[in-house]
Amino acid sequence: MKFSELKAAFFYARKDIIKDKKVFFFITAAIIFATANIIVVNGFMGGIADDLIDNSIETSVGHLNVYPRDDDRFIEGIGFKEQKLASMKDLVAFSSRLYAGGTLSLRDITTTVNIIAVDVENERKITKLLEKLDTGSTLEPNDRDILISYRLAEDMKADVGDHVTLVFENGDSKLYKIKGIIHTGIYELDVDTIFISKTELNQHLGFGDKASIILVKLTDKDMAEAKKQVFIDELGVSKVKTWVEEIEHIVKSMGAWSEFSNMVISVGLIASAISVGVIIFINVVHKRRQIGIMKAIGASNSFVFIVFIIEAGLFAILGVAGGDFLGYYATKYFETHPFWEPITRTWFRARFYPYLLYNASIVSFGITIIAGIYPALKARKTNIIKAIWG
Amino acid sequence: MKIIDTIYLKKTYRLGRIEVNALNGVTTSADEGEFVAIMGPSGSGKSTFLNLVGMLDIPSSGEIYLNGTDTIKMDERTRTEYRLKNIGFVFQFFNLFMELTAVENVMFPMMLSGHPFHRERAEELLEIVGLNKRSNHLPSELSGGEQQRVAIARALSNKPKLLLTDEPTANLDTKITREIMELFRTLNHDQHQTIIMVTHNPELGEMADRIIHFRDGKVEG
Repeated sequence: MKFSELKAAFFYARKDIIKDKKVFFFITAAIIFATANIIVVNGFMGGIADDLIDNSIETSVGHLNVYPRDDDRFIEGIGFKEQKLASMKDLVAFSSRLYAGGTLSLRDITTTVNIIAVDVENERKITKLLEKLDTGSTLEPNDRDILISYRLAEDMKADVGDHVTLVFENGDSKLYKIKGIIHTGIYELDVDTIFISKTELNQHLGFGDKASIILVKLTDKDMAEAKKQVFIDELGVSKVKTWVEEIEHIVKSMGAWSEFSNMVISVGLIASAISVGVIIFINVVHKRRQIGIMKAIGASNSFVFIVFIIEAGLFAILGVAGGDFLGYYATKYFETHPFWEPITRTWFRARFYPYLLYNASIVSFGITIIAGIYPALKARKTNIIKAIWG
Repeated sequence: MKIIDTIYLKKTYRLGRIEVNALNGVTTSADEGEFVAIMGPSGSGKSTFLNLVGMLDIPSSGEIYLNGTDTIKMDERTRTEYRLKNIGFVFQFFNLFMELTAVENVMFPMMLSGHPFHRERAEELLEIVGLNKRSNHLPSELSGGEQQRVAIARALSNKPKLLLTDEPTANLDTKITREIMELFRTLNHDQHQTIIMVTHNPELGEMADRIIHFRDGKVEG
């Protein structure tokens, strides 16, 4: 196709799309909303996923997490291992925890609980677990009080300042004051957990030189995979998990949600593509005689095809530009105005990433052009004689 | 010099199981600068002949030479290009592009052929057909006669060797018909434009240099 033909095709297509302003507005609006929909929905999916991942990392796991062997309950020789860790490179902090079981009683309610005993000072260097409070105040290094999870507090009708009886797994019991109520946003921690200092737990259970897990914070979390084997070799342990492995279930779950949202987006896109395709097709049918005349006066088949592809392209450019604009500002709005989700008690927040614009633009533009292909082929095949004389 | 030369031209259409011989061996010609009227009853093959000469359709058999060039052997692309640069069409139903103004309609074929001064030339042509003051009007804002003048200007835009018109005044009143015919005569006399006009109207036929009569797909007499 010659450049002059391309210019003429662009000229005609531009005039044709704005001839009927209502139709022009309708098609453009359909593409705008379909494009914005991709950006906003993916912005929400990305935002929720990232919040969940960030929350999980900062609350419950280290960049590297050292576990006991599969058949053991505890990691033995913590003192030696902590000395080793203190001399290792690229490491910001480490902290060990002890996990145990027990029962908690308040008034006439008694329930089984999981006990997480932390090294308060070191835990703060790695996670924000102890800062995730709904009410009350957090544990201090020499505290003899406890924190309880918010669901446990609801179930036991417990509040800050209440005194509860904790019976340890060896039968020892003690009356503790509830200092704060913790709300992490992670189901396993929020259901039936109490938080206590390691010193306090060891006084009753005497676990001494043992730990259930050692959490390690690296200078860069992306180094975790590379450092994993170094830790196994240096500490003489067999089970070390990276943060990615720890939250694999969340990543997979978000992947499933992402697929679902992609399906919803696809339906919107297909609806938009069909509306564009149908309107261009109707335009082609209505213009049959004009297309015949166009070919009679010397327009080639490829010229006619290109005219309608350019029309689809112009709709796509305008729609995608408008959609990007709307999608950007809507996503930014939902970044600062998140939805409160009362069941999981977390904020559903959208997050804007530049790739959202690229992806939405490419997909929306491509779909609109594809929608224009069939009508353009139909126009290309118009028989001159039948078009002009019926 | 012969601008059109057809030899034993045949065109057969198939309507379901029936074959219709629209043209049944037409051998005729027209010279450069001639104004020829083609007349005959409905179904005599006038429009079919015009379509074949205008390269809008392909004959079942026979030969067509335009300006000495065998058009039957041309491929689709060459035929389109030849039509753009050498043939102008004026149809019965004006057939303008409704989304383009008068001047844009006239510009359009020149834009296709890459004419560098298409707007200036289009304005000139609209002046020739007496519509320079209506050049920025859409077809829907023009009368039937004005629309047909725009169609004539458009047909002349690429300076075609051959102007083919099919019942160009069938939808116009007597006064406008006379004006359009005067325009054709002027173009033929002043610019030596070769015009082939299909018409039912004997009065219009009389205004041409020569009349070719068609009957039953053949040239009469």
